[in-house]
Amino acid sequence: MLGFIIQRFLQAVAVMAVMSVIVFCGVYAIGNPIDIVIPPDATQDIREEAIRRLGLDRPLYEQYFIFMANLLQGDLGRSFVYNIPVLELIGGRLPATLELVLISVISATVIGVTLGIYAGYRPDSWVSKTIMAVSVLGFSVPSFWVGLILILTFAVNLGWLPAGGRGETVEIWGVPWSFPTLDGLSHIVLPAINLALFKLAMMIRLARAGTREIMLTDTIKFARAAGLSEGTILRRHLLKLISIPIITVFGLELGSTLAFAVVTETIFSWPGVGKLIIDSIAVLDRPVMVAYLILVAFLFVTINFVIDLVFALIDPRVRKGATA
Amino acid sequence: MTFQKFLAPLTIAVGLSMAGAASAQTLTMGVRGGPESMDPHFSALGPHAEAAKHIFDTLVWSGDDLQIEPGLATSWTPVDDDTWEFKLRQGVKFHDGSDFDAEDVKFSIERIPVVTGPTTTAIYVRRVAGVDIIDPHTIHIHTDGQAATLPNDFIRLFIVSSEAAADYSTPETAAEGFNSGKAAIGTGPYKFVSWEPKGDLVLEKNPDYWRGEGAWETVIRKEIPNDSSRLAALKAGQVDVINYVSSVDYLALANDSNIDAIEGDSVYIMNLQLDQREKTPLVRAIDGSELAENPFRDLKVRQAIDHAIDRQTMVDIVLEGLGKPANQMMPPGFFGSSENIPMPEYNPEKAKALLAEAGYPNGFEVDLYCTADRLPGDGAICQGLGQMFTQVGIKTNVNAISKTVYFPAQARLEYSMFMNGWGTLTGEASYTLGGLAHSNNPDVKLGAFNRIEYKNDEVDQLLQAGATMMDPDERRATYEQAMEKVMADKAYISIVQLQTVWAAKAGMLEFTPRFDEDTLAFFIKPAS
Amino acid sequence: MSQPASPLHRFWVEFRENRIAVVALVVVVIMILLALFANLVSPQNPYDLANLSLMDSRRPPGFVGSGGYTHLLGTDPQGRDLLSAIFYGLRISIQIGLAAGFVSLTIGTALGILAAYVGGRIEALIMRLVDLQLSFPAILLALVIVALLGQGKAQLIGALVAAQYAYFARTAYGAAKAERGKDYIEAAVATPLSSRQIVWRHLLPNCTPPLIVVATVQIANSISLEATLSFLGLGLPVTEPSLGMLISNGFPYMMSGRYWISVYPGVALIILIVAINIVGDQVRDQFNPRLRK
Repeated sequence: MLGFIIQRFLQAVAVMAVMSVIVFCGVYAIGNPIDIVIPPDATQDIREEAIRRLGLDRPLYEQYFIFMANLLQGDLGRSFVYNIPVLELIGGRLPATLELVLISVISATVIGVTLGIYAGYRPDSWVSKTIMAVSVLGFSVPSFWVGLILILTFAVNLGWLPAGGRGETVEIWGVPWSFPTLDGLSHIVLPAINLALFKLAMMIRLARAGTREIMLTDTIKFARAAGLSEGTILRRHLLKLISIPIITVFGLELGSTLAFAVVTETIFSWPGVGKLIIDSIAVLDRPVMVAYLILVAFLFVTINFVIDLVFALIDPRVRKGATA
Repeated sequence: MTFQKFLAPLTIAVGLSMAGAASAQTLTMGVRGGPESMDPHFSALGPHAEAAKHIFDTLVWSGDDLQIEPGLATSWTPVDDDTWEFKLRQGVKFHDGSDFDAEDVKFSIERIPVVTGPTTTAIYVRRVAGVDIIDPHTIHIHTDGQAATLPNDFIRLFIVSSEAAADYSTPETAAEGFNSGKAAIGTGPYKFVSWEPKGDLVLEKNPDYWRGEGAWETVIRKEIPNDSSRLAALKAGQVDVINYVSSVDYLALANDSNIDAIEGDSVYIMNLQLDQREKTPLVRAIDGSELAENPFRDLKVRQAIDHAIDRQTMVDIVLEGLGKPANQMMPPGFFGSSENIPMPEYNPEKAKALLAEAGYPNGFEVDLYCTADRLPGDGAICQGLGQMFTQVGIKTNVNAISKTVYFPAQARLEYSMFMNGWGTLTGEASYTLGGLAHSNNPDVKLGAFNRIEYKNDEVDQLLQAGATMMDPDERRATYEQAMEKVMADKAYISIVQLQTVWAAKAGMLEFTPRFDEDTLAFFIKPAS
Repeated sequence: MSQPASPLHRFWVEFRENRIAVVALVVVVIMILLALFANLVSPQNPYDLANLSLMDSRRPPGFVGSGGYTHLLGTDPQGRDLLSAIFYGLRISIQIGLAAGFVSLTIGTALGILAAYVGGRIEALIMRLVDLQLSFPAILLALVIVALLGQGKAQLIGALVAAQYAYFARTAYGAAKAERGKDYIEAAVATPLSSRQIVWRHLLPNCTPPLIVVATVQIANSISLEATLSFLGLGLPVTEPSLGMLISNGFPYMMSGRYWISVYPGVALIILIVAINIVGDQVRDQFNPRLRK
């Protein structure tokens, strides 16, 4: 078991190293930020000075090693645009993204699993068919389009909710959150629905498929034969059995939702990390782009690593080996 | 889906929130762009300087129409060919109570090249060769050669406190010192309270301001980059005033009795530029074959292009009313704008005739390039030009692209016909004509943005003469003459002057639009 | 009915049972035809600037423009007839979806079968890479690649392929691996049969059904992804708009009530994607032996 962990850990580290090279070289291959950050009427000296100051006069490999050396000390560099450490910049925007993502994924899971179990439990009722139709739509319709329609309906035509931006925030442990205020909540509703819809469709399908399969198994048949009420069966057996894959997917989806937030944040002008990366691409703020991508890669490699471990733990063969 | 339906619920929302935002104590401004740092010397970008103007003063002030006025300097005079004497305002105090004097000016000038970010503020002091303190309120600035426009350079020369900023004047320490407020000590109308990148800048009144007290106890400058969101925030009462209402929303806003729209002229003019080199890359005959020569070198072709442009339609339809037809590269009334230049006539028949006369009865084909994301309407104007040119026989392939691709390629002279906005930020012609219309000549530091190799010897002479004339009237006449000649050559064809719109809740504020588009809390007053 | 002749015929008989899928199939076919013959069915060539008039711009549906015909769906800010722009946009969107889908299919299948057939280190390397990429959100990958490569059709297709080939590789690998393990292939490998024959005759045919399913889904995904990228301003140039670009161009006008510029291209996009997905769902169900009654 330990050998397996070490092997997977080394693999993860290797992947991160490769990713850092790819990301760094890739991002540094895009255009020349100098043409964008310095004003059009700068003289040649000023231009060269700016190039030198940003470290762009050094060869690429040297820039990479400087970057890696700093990275290992937890320093991801400074934003070209703001001249403040990139981590500070990303950190400042993280709460906005986190609260949006968490609210979306949690509500998608709770609602999706409930609907999915129902659809799996009574597959032939018209309610279930409606639920499934909604899930097909949720899967198919691009999320930016859903966002557009949400804005058109609820912000423009009905005027019930704001079209974009983040609402009033309150500080909790020094971090600004918007969900505790009414204004903040009203701002978060539309983007959260937008972000949640795809996950909702997925959770419905997952829960439905799981329920259908489990309902046909012997466990349930025996439970029914033993005279347990349907409610108890659902609670004790069904929920327990379908919760493992759902929790796995929940973890996986948390990561991908962070990435998907890019689109939602752009549509709703949500001041999160996703909006930051789109803005940074527009002005070629390289350090921010590199840092964001490396952090995302790190997140995914970590999630994969953890999932590998979890699977190894619950895999009966591994377990048998451990107890014997 | 009518606008009325959209409005109904909003009226209620505005009514309810009036009570909160109406207090004259706080002014909340929703602005498109924000500062990049609290260090005024970090960036030369407009929104950065605009934010800095709340906390810091400049040596020379640029007025509503960009005319230069006394700021922290009360007067300036040339003492010899390469020295200017600036008299400094007496009795001005920094926010921490210390006195403002010549030491702070010298410190600020010398600090700029050290701490500037990539969008360099060094351009404001590029002509400065040395600074001599004569007495605490007199300073001599030595320049490299004659610098007639030095006072114009100083309109964004922000003065920081030499004591407060002493420890925060290296590239590593500046951002931290200023962003935390420790060094963000100026002489301006408002004091720094807090700031978050891309977030809110919070300010409080400086009761001892030398121009007099500001009207607001607290000013919050909220950054809302999305045009629709900014307008929505105003309608919902979250902000009191917004800048840059987009042309898309402007028409609807004009019918909205809850909102006052304030239009102002901008310094930006859209100019079409026609490559004057003998060989130009992106022009060909209709059948795709190579042309014998660059058609843009023929004045008749350039006149034809000018006649093909329907400026009024550009303004009315493309910009939805938010602009003015332009006949020269600077707005009327600027130092060097000429009143003798006629507004070009839209006449497609004449355009076709001129093309035929020039030997292109069937027209030719050209790739037109322009920015699509820099200024309001740039991409749309470009596509409009494409239609207008195609309709007179010049088959035009429109490429409205990102400014991040456009400007580098333009600088490499890769385009034949291209359009982008140019803002005469200094309010005078040496900046615009000197950069665009002089042949590119680094030795005399002129023509750096002439990307079409335009060269008219008479214009070159006028511009070189103008750069060293100390007499303002003589200079003005020289630049006007140069402008007339450049516009008659039609290698640069001005199309429209952009306008900007601010919006505020109806009857709430008194506000005068500024040419440089700055939104400055000190000059916004509650309506009486 | 007489005896079902070919597998294709049997497939069709089964497909026919699902009414909704049949309708969806018809919709897909109609949309492909519209895209193919856009120049014939459109009232206007929206790319020919000589045909456009700024005077006609941003007119609501039903407006009779300077061309003398009714703009059924209104016009866009350039005075383009929206219906025509949608037909042409459909063409670009479908083109890109098909191109990206086909290239991903080829690359992905080749990699997947290679991994399954050769095994060993190469298998481990390829599949580890594919798995890693699958865990990484396609949208982010495409976003970065487009930012890297710049704007243009080829670049966009490249980004879509990079974001999607892994799905094909995984599918092909799974099917080929299962087949590779069977005795007859093991036996075939031992005989002088060339590996090319094994791959073409045995591995590839067995991968085909699941690959078809993945392909339909991925084409729909490509179209949707392209629209998303265009919406974010990272897609094709504005002058030859895909459906996503049309939506994006109209977005700013939404707030001032000129909804049609954005909404109608969007409706076309949704119909296309949903229809492809419904067809794909049905095909998958038919290929999935577990759901067979």
